[in-house]
Amino acid sequence: MKAPLEGDEAAASAGAAPRVYKPEMPRGWWLRRRHYFLYMVREFTAVPMALWLLWLLFEIHRAANGPKGYYPSASPAFIVFSVICLAFATYHSVTFLSLAGVIINLKLMGKRVPPRTIVAVMFGLWLVASVMIAAVLIGFAR
Amino acid sequence: MNYDSAKRNKPAISHLFWWFLFANGGGLTALVLPVHILVQGVLGPLGVVHVVDRNYDTWISVLGNPIVKLYLLALISLAFFHFAHRLRYFLVDLGVPAARTLPAQVLFYGGAVVVTAVTIWVLLTTAPLSFG
Repeated sequence: MKAPLEGDEAAASAGAAPRVYKPEMPRGWWLRRRHYFLYMVREFTAVPMALWLLWLLFEIHRAANGPKGYYPSASPAFIVFSVICLAFATYHSVTFLSLAGVIINLKLMGKRVPPRTIVAVMFGLWLVASVMIAAVLIGFAR
Repeated sequence: MNYDSAKRNKPAISHLFWWFLFANGGGLTALVLPVHILVQGVLGPLGVVHVVDRNYDTWISVLGNPIVKLYLLALISLAFFHFAHRLRYFLVDLGVPAARTLPAQVLFYGGAVVVTAVTIWVLLTTAPLSFG
């Protein structure tokens, strides 16, 4: 046990690269516990959200070809795709806005605003923003 | 040791930059994306409510508004910087250490830059801004 250690120290002092600790994660580690799985689901929400935004970009672009070339998506497949994306996007919102209570450290009149209040404000903002955007998307329609 | 502590005290400007984009992309999508998907992706196509993008005339007039253009650019661009960061670490977690390397960073954040450029192009060529 002692001899290789000395060898390593000699190597280190001779300018060789230091040994780097590489944590080994077994394949499928995130399937072993519900908590790990939900963490990975949270990270994965980026994929369906990205796909839906690319669709939105495509729908904007479709309007560039004039009224004759424009047709809004309405297929059952598109609706199913949107429902799946909506589930992931909502999960992202709930986890991300809940984290705000941990991340944001706000002091008001010398007192720390409790995390629960910050999270409540975030969810309130989510509601207000949703109502405003829905009002624009529906209110300007004919 | 002195060298190490000096190095540690230096503000990590690049981290700050990417984290700013990551956090704001995450926050903005958290606040506004579900309602877009619900209204434009589910309720509109089902015909439950009338939505601006169901009709060419209303869609093009909304898209011609410069505030809407700025909003869509901020939403799509910041979202993709958020996604780039998330997906890179998602791959690391899945056991792909290569996702940490510089080429992977160039690929993922470069992808977000490309999406931003395409978004600018799409917004400027669809219902072009007219002054007068």
